[in-house]
Amino acid sequence: MKLPINSLTLSLSKINKTHLQFALMILTLVMLVLGAGAPEDVGGVGR
Amino acid sequence: MILLTAIIAGTIAGWGYARWKGEAWQSPVFRATWLVALGFLPQLVAFYLPYTRKSFTDEAASWCLVSSQILLLIFAGLNIRLPGMSLLALGLTCNLIVILANGGFMPLTIDAASRLVSQTVLNRLVLGERVGSASKDILLSDASTRLPWLADRFVPPQGVPYRFAFSLGDIFIALGTFWLLSSDRHNT
Repeated sequence: MKLPINSLTLSLSKINKTHLQFALMILTLVMLVLGAGAPEDVGGVGR
Repeated sequence: MILLTAIIAGTIAGWGYARWKGEAWQSPVFRATWLVALGFLPQLVAFYLPYTRKSFTDEAASWCLVSSQILLLIFAGLNIRLPGMSLLALGLTCNLIVILANGGFMPLTIDAASRLVSQTVLNRLVLGERVGSASKDILLSDASTRLPWLADRFVPPQGVPYRFAFSLGDIFIALGTFWLLSSDRHNT
């Protein structure tokens, strides 16, 4: 029977450099567009 | 939301196009990524985090917004070689110019506000003041808005369930982001 820790280790080992680069790129872009843009939605009004 | 949609749509388009060509999708590689984190930080505390934003005066919040956008513009300049980044930088410049011209916040026209919220909510808003502590916008009349064509004056047509007001700069930023993510990087 597989231990949960073994499954977790297996899953983590599948995360490679490319995945981390992609996650960092998305995080960078999210911060960039949220900081650069200034759209106003209903949720922001009166809050 | 319009800007995050551009990221999702651009990623799907870029990934789909690469798959269609039988190649691996290559995400853009940025220079000086730390500058984005440094640039976004003032806005994070002054606008996005509920626990910190209420402690900021309007003047301090506007300083945070302007300094943040200047840092992000420097980042865009350092990465201008990337496809789409020039359009994104143009949008950021448009937003920064209109913000500087209107006292440090993005002007929201009364016409756009009336199409965004109900009359009851609109009546609670004060002309010349921010529309909320989480907002980068200040409510202004058309006559008192400098560079009105760069203000938050566009609203999606009726029938679109998500209501928001956006500027010309926001359109450029969304298009630039989509272009950046969807372009073929194997030839660059």
